[in-house]
Amino acid sequence: MSELNTNVNEEINVENIKKELSQLKNKKTSQLSLVWRRFKSNKLALTGFIIVSLVIFVAVFAPLLTPYEPFATNPSIRLSAPSSAHWLGTDAMGRDVLTRLFYGARIALQIGVLIILFEGFIGILMGVLSGFFGGIIDSIVMRLVDILRSFPVIILAMAIAGIMGQGLYNVVIALGIVGWTTYARMVRSKILSIKEADYIEAGYSIGESTFSIITKYIIPNAIPTAIVMISIMMPTALIASATLSFLGLGVQPPTPSWGSMVAAGRDYLLQAPWISTSAGFFIMFTVLGFNFIGDGLRDALDPTTKH
Amino acid sequence: MTIKKQLLKRILRTLITAIGVTIIAFLILHLTPGDPARIMLGSYASEENLEAVRAKYNLDEPLHIQYIVWMENLVKGDLGTSIRYNRSVNNLLGDRIAKTLLLTVTGLVFSIVFGVIFGILAALKRNSWLDYISTVQAMFWISMPSFWLGIILLYIFGLKLNLVPISGTGWTALILPALTLGLRQEAWFARPMRAEMLEVLNQEYIRAAKAKGLKYYIVVTKHALRNALIPIITMLALRLPWIIGGSIVIEVVFSWGGMGTLLVNSVLARDYPVVQAILLIISIAVVVANLLADMVYSWVDPRIRMEG
Repeated sequence: MSELNTNVNEEINVENIKKELSQLKNKKTSQLSLVWRRFKSNKLALTGFIIVSLVIFVAVFAPLLTPYEPFATNPSIRLSAPSSAHWLGTDAMGRDVLTRLFYGARIALQIGVLIILFEGFIGILMGVLSGFFGGIIDSIVMRLVDILRSFPVIILAMAIAGIMGQGLYNVVIALGIVGWTTYARMVRSKILSIKEADYIEAGYSIGESTFSIITKYIIPNAIPTAIVMISIMMPTALIASATLSFLGLGVQPPTPSWGSMVAAGRDYLLQAPWISTSAGFFIMFTVLGFNFIGDGLRDALDPTTKH
Repeated sequence: MTIKKQLLKRILRTLITAIGVTIIAFLILHLTPGDPARIMLGSYASEENLEAVRAKYNLDEPLHIQYIVWMENLVKGDLGTSIRYNRSVNNLLGDRIAKTLLLTVTGLVFSIVFGVIFGILAALKRNSWLDYISTVQAMFWISMPSFWLGIILLYIFGLKLNLVPISGTGWTALILPALTLGLRQEAWFARPMRAEMLEVLNQEYIRAAKAKGLKYYIVVTKHALRNALIPIITMLALRLPWIIGGSIVIEVVFSWGGMGTLLVNSVLARDYPVVQAILLIISIAVVVANLLADMVYSWVDPRIRMEG
């Protein structure tokens, strides 16, 4: 209260308001460290962090971790059971399953990141436009979101991947065309609440342009929401892309994608159950890691809601 | 806004969405540049065949005319002709719709039952090992791709233990695919159920019911559960596209003869009239189900206004 009184006595000028705004920004940085502290103290979140780091490590150092080549076939040892030479056995072409799974981590993460970037870019842009400008733009974007969300993601993506042809980039496009709607919705509602905040009004009152309001105040404040969104969307992106590959509509063999490895192993379920089971386990393990992180981040950013 | 006005507004919004859905389903074939006839028949098709397909599907007409003709046929109940089977799509879909519906509904029932039970137990025994197990199991199912969960169940119960048939269409063959779908989706109901139950259990009227000396299970089932179930309706509408999508994929794993298997084969064979028809049927079902869920929601809880 006393602080307020002294402020009233001071001459109100643009410089003072700018100073206050920058102080508010500094407060935000300390908030981030608070979030990190909360995140670290969450055991499941930390487990997720370790799991995902492990997958990234495997993807990056795949050639150093295994003596085999992911494409090298060897019919004489086809479908051999796990042994000291081949820890997870071999597949129908005599390729080392573990090696292919390691290289598959590269494909999975690559697709996951590309999907997040693609759908995140469109979704955040649409969400900002629709939330900030409202009116007709908002109506159009939100109706488009309604329409696209009426299709099950995987079904629309199947149709799109089918027409565009299989392959890594088409998987990204097919899933991104549907996936951006989730970001758009979340970002829009976040923007709507930020728009009402006092500091936006303050920004306008000191004559900031709409563009600088969006880039300086709105987007930075929507970033925590975006981070949570990414950690929530990563599992969806991984599972959906693996599903497309499993159905034969995604990344094509012989490229070692986890989804197509599960599909290939399905034909040898009785003779060589290790192919499908281990490939699926890698998908589950990775997705679980991202889910733990997502949960931890959500709790850390918003400790008032308990999930 | 009066309830009637709200309802009208909501129905109008549903209509706009439905029209949008038909446009997307129609445009899917025109998504990539190039001749749709060639996309359907493949690059080795003869000029004669291409001409025949162009004539049959009015592909030489401008897009909006094609759309209008397509819509006219739809309104008449004609979903078109399959290129691959040279049969009417209506005929081809036949009882497949019912089979997919059966799988979806059974899976949905499983997921709600499991979800509600786990949610209630977790809320009643908050912070106990039961609560913890409920959270972790939910996380596990959510992290498993449904096709893999299906394969694992198939391997254990079908191939190793021989308890259920691994494919077919009978009631026993329904158990595994429905279980796969149910387990995969259960977490989405367990978590909100737990949260809602915790909130309801803290309400005055629950304390009043307990103070009256009512038996614990009556308080839980009659008073708390009834109110905590409301958000399940919202969750149901939200998850419906995912549940249908899931059942389409699971059908492929279990060779369940519904729309899913047909859809995958049609996509791979570029039989686009079939793909368009299935896209349309499923999305219109989702649109209608969403409207119904909104209506039911505002009916069971009049405090909630329908989203405008």
